Order: sequence, then C-alpha cells, then structure tokens
Amino acid sequence: MSEVQRKKYSEQEKSKIFDQEFMPNIDSMYNFAYRLTFDEDDAKDLVQDTYLKAFRFINSFEQGTNAKAWLFRILKNSFINDYRKKSKQPAKIDYQEVETYYNSDDVDYTSTTDLRVDAVKDMLGDEISNALNSLAVDFRTVIILCDLEGFTYEEMAKILDIPIGTVRSRLHRARNLLKDKLRSYASTMGYGNDEEEGS
Amino acid sequence: MDDNSTPSGDRKLSCSDVSKCFQLLESILDGENLPNSKEMLNEKLAKCEPCFKHFHLEQAIRDVLKTKCTKQAVPSELEASIREIIQDRK
Repeated sequence: MSEVQRKKYSEQEKSKIFDQEFMPNIDSMYNFAYRLTFDEDDAKDLVQDTYLKAFRFINSFEQGTNAKAWLFRILKNSFINDYRKKSKQPAKIDYQEVETYYNSDDVDYTSTTDLRVDAVKDMLGDEISNALNSLAVDFRTVIILCDLEGFTYEEMAKILDIPIGTVRSRLHRARNLLKDKLRSYASTMGYGNDEEEGS
Repeated sequence: MDDNSTPSGDRKLSCSDVSKCFQLLESILDGENLPNSKEMLNEKLAKCEPCFKHFHLEQAIRDVLKTKCTKQAVPSELEASIREIIQDRK
C-alpha cells in the first residue's frame, strides 16, 4: 500500500466512506476469506485485519474508484503476507512462479472435454463448492473473483498484481481443472458415457 | 438457449482456430467489452460446432458457480468488533 497520502479526509468523511463504501462489502469479503482459509476463525481474523488496514490507509483510497476491488486487494495481500506465513500448512509451490517460468500466454485451448452441459446443470451446490474448493489457491482465487464476485479482467489484474494476459490464461486453466473435477462427479452420477439413463 | 440440439448440418465439425475462438468466447462470457463481440459470437455459434459446444459448456459452468456455490453467513458480531477496535484506536 502506498505510504504517500495525497490528501486527508476529515474524520466525518472517513466515517462516511467506511460506512457507505467499505462495510457494505463485508459479506463478499467474509466469503472470499472463508474460501481462502476454510476456517471461520481465520476468515474472521482476515476480514477484521483487512478492515483495520483499510481504515488506517483510508487516505490512499480514491473516492469514486471501486472500493470492493481495493478491499479485495488488501485482503488478498494480507492472506499471502500474514496468514500463509503463520499457517502450519506445508509450503506449496507458488503457482505464479511456475507460471512465469513457462510462457504464461501459451495456453492449450485444444484439450476438449466430454463433460456434458446437462450434467453440469444437474450438479448440486455442494458438488460445485467442493470442486472449487479442491483447486489450488491461485486457481480458486481467479474463479472466485471472476464468477462469484463479477470482477473484470482489469480489476482482477489489479487485485492480484498480475498482467491481464496472465489473468486470462490462469482463468482458462482454472476452469479446465474445475471441469476435470466436475467430470469425475458427473461419472458417479451416471453421466459418464453416452448411454442415456432411463429418463 | 437449447443445448440439446444435435449437431447442425450447417455447422462445421472442426474449428480452424480453436485457441483464438475459445479465448474470444471465454472473454465474451466473462463480460469483457470487445468490439463487434455480439456479431462474432452469433457467427461462431451458427457456423462452428466446437465453438457452439464450448460456449454452452462454459456458460453452464459459470451459471452453476454463480447460482449454486454455498455461501457462508457473516458472523453477527464481526462488524461490531471491527468498529469497536477502530473506536478504541482513535
């Protein structure tokens, strides 16, 4: 976060921004935090920490810009810098490093999937959620930001500090991985082959 | 839109530029504003079977993610405790 504070909001203005622009996003923030940590207490800490930082650095928030994207960026950074460090999870390979090693825009679009549209439509909420939650955090994050929270590629690039081309290719890879998971659910539901069920 | 239609005789069964087409379809589904996207989309869906299939599968996945993912309720005391800490620090 920038240490340069271009202007000072009055105490009244700060309260107004906090109440009208920051707080209405608490539902999305908490769900994002929960989907990153899978733990209620950790999600609460992460959201609380994010709001305290947001208030502390409120002068670097430009009124009229997207408060939700600004808050999501703080939450994502807090997760990487604070939560991941102190969590006891074994260190995972950071996908971004792997990705920049390979040509990030070189995505294989040719792989086809035999997943059927009607199988996807019949999926239960739990199956969808479990499939999403089983993805590595960097893949999970882009799907949450794009599909659940409706951020644009440009906003996602800012939240994640990566180029738009990388947003696009990571999303494509994430969805392919998700399709793999959904396909295995589909096969257990009897959608595994082309033979029609009795209905 | 009906997804159950059988491959239309009018659609070609292989796509000559899958990478470019699928990337375009995905950008359109993700709400990116591209020039002439509507026209390009209609043309692809009418003429190319792989594009047609890819578009509808990708669309279905986005729809179920949006509508079916389980949501967590925000703990009732969270907002109050954030406000309390901020007040204490003032």
